[in-house]
Amino acid sequence: MSAVDAPAFFVSELRLVSRRRRNQAGLAVLAAVPIIIAVAMKVAAPSSSSSSQGPEFFGSITSNGYFVALAALAVEIQLLLPIAVATIAGDSVAGEANQGTLRYLLTVPVDRTRLLAVKFAAIVVGAFVATMTVATAGLLAGWALFGAGPVTLLSGSQASVGGSLLRLLAMCAYLTVCLAALGAIGLFVSTLTEQPMGATIAITIIAVTSWVLGAVPQLDWLHPYLLTNSWTAFGELMRSPIAWEPLRDGLLSAAAYMLIFLSAAWARFTTADVSS
Amino acid sequence: MQATKSRPALRWLIPAAATVLVIGGGAAVGTFAASADPSLPPRSAAQLLVDLQTARLDGLSGTVVQTSDLGLPSLPNLGGGSGSADVMSLITGDNTLRVWYSGPDKARVALMGTLGETDMIRNGSDVWLWESKANKATHSKLSGTEAGQQHTLPNGVPSTPQEAADQALAAIDPTTEVTTSGTARVAGRDAYELVLRPRDTASLVGQVRIAIDATEHVPLRFEVLAKDSDKAAFEVAFTQVDFDRPDDQQFEFNPPPGAKVEESTELSAEQKAQQAEKAHNDGDLTTVGEGWTMVAVSKAGGAPASPEEEDATGLLKALPEVSGAWGKGHLLTGTVFSVLVTDDGRILAGLVSPERLYEVAATKAGK
Repeated sequence: MSAVDAPAFFVSELRLVSRRRRNQAGLAVLAAVPIIIAVAMKVAAPSSSSSSQGPEFFGSITSNGYFVALAALAVEIQLLLPIAVATIAGDSVAGEANQGTLRYLLTVPVDRTRLLAVKFAAIVVGAFVATMTVATAGLLAGWALFGAGPVTLLSGSQASVGGSLLRLLAMCAYLTVCLAALGAIGLFVSTLTEQPMGATIAITIIAVTSWVLGAVPQLDWLHPYLLTNSWTAFGELMRSPIAWEPLRDGLLSAAAYMLIFLSAAWARFTTADVSS
Repeated sequence: MQATKSRPALRWLIPAAATVLVIGGGAAVGTFAASADPSLPPRSAAQLLVDLQTARLDGLSGTVVQTSDLGLPSLPNLGGGSGSADVMSLITGDNTLRVWYSGPDKARVALMGTLGETDMIRNGSDVWLWESKANKATHSKLSGTEAGQQHTLPNGVPSTPQEAADQALAAIDPTTEVTTSGTARVAGRDAYELVLRPRDTASLVGQVRIAIDATEHVPLRFEVLAKDSDKAAFEVAFTQVDFDRPDDQQFEFNPPPGAKVEESTELSAEQKAQQAEKAHNDGDLTTVGEGWTMVAVSKAGGAPASPEEEDATGLLKALPEVSGAWGKGHLLTGTVFSVLVTDDGRILAGLVSPERLYEVAATKAGK
């Protein structure tokens, strides 16, 4: 089918994504948030240590640095992580079309389906790197300022350091799948336009709108169908025993979104006239 | 593939098909799970009642979803939204609970919040209440007389279909018509349905339906339906259930280091009974009528003492004002109950329409 072998193509795509200045800056911002959270909690610790209010997991930070990673994930999944995925996904096809490199890419006899698959794989890797960056930065900042140790789970029992790290890895994997569903929508949007910024903004708006609709109790009939509905279910991994049902529902929902939008992206991209 | 190559527009059929598949597939699974009536040998209502009373449950674990659509005005002060693991949230919206049961002295109920949990753990004579958001554990010890009792979440709202069914069955009397409406499927298990219907049509409750597991004889679903409605006003149902005895480890609770631990000074059963009696005499709680149309009348009166009561007064002011020959007051109406709080300090409540409450309020018994 093609003269270029897929692994080499995938590697070059990853290199392209990782070398972009805006992506590097984006990662730095993602990593900065947990550090800011940890420092702020350290500075404010004496006065607010007793408060159980504030965003999720914040109350537990002072007792264990591990919770900085969870708090950062809980905060960033609302906006910053979707923006990171939207940037990569919006850029994937529209960016090449915008720079005029897409037609050169297509003159290399590479199958368009395979090209799209590589683009999506790069988005998924990007999403995983983004969540892992947040978790790792949070973990290191938290451990440095508040110390490590066995983690108290939501159910009141304790998990060992190793067990809690496994849970954190599973959370990152789960959030990667969730974000990959957004990435699939993004890939489709990206095939519709030649303006990468427009695509990125549209994808961000989709994620934000989904969060907003999910916060309106009068629309509860709509909630199960929303893209972001099960994203906060990553917290289920902090129970003992783990509540798998919400996680399974989240993965099924993400798979449904991916099926629809990847096939739509395929239908669009393989039939579109590439002029630039 | 040849056709899609020559006519590219055909490729759009694939995402279209994927959409239909996802939506249709989801809907089909939903209707299949809801409507597939299993064929079970017929059982009469009386047999089902005996089944319920003689059921011997060794242990179970499962997930319970509780939905309330009581038609209450959505006041922001009325507890948290669907996401909070607050015990108050049990009276509003939807809740998910995980339950483990292994004999009467080993039970655990966990109320799940989005990123929090409230656990009630009973192990022997130890009872723990764990609140993850507050990082707080409350311990209490049961005395001998209480040791045999089941323990519920502190607000008295039934947290399992079993508890709800027990409360309903205790109320069965000549004013109730007990029938069976055939079979149902709940949490992937075959079940019989028992229907309790008030004979007195003045009650707002249309029927109470209890789905009973066909093999284990344990209630799997409990629904309260308002009159002329086929949507449950209140429902507690298993979404997943397993009748294997859960691991003993699940009932062990050690407060995690760093958590606040409180020793509860809960009153013993006798003291509680005495106090309830006292409250009964002081508050002058009387009842008018019987069975489903019973109206409870309480003469609380007096100025609000605690901050919570002041909050309650504030809430009260937000309710619609009503007046009649009986006086003036505020009315709270739900789909299956009404509460009338008069300005002269009387509280009337029942599973009846407001008109019935006005009637009672005007009579001597209601004064």
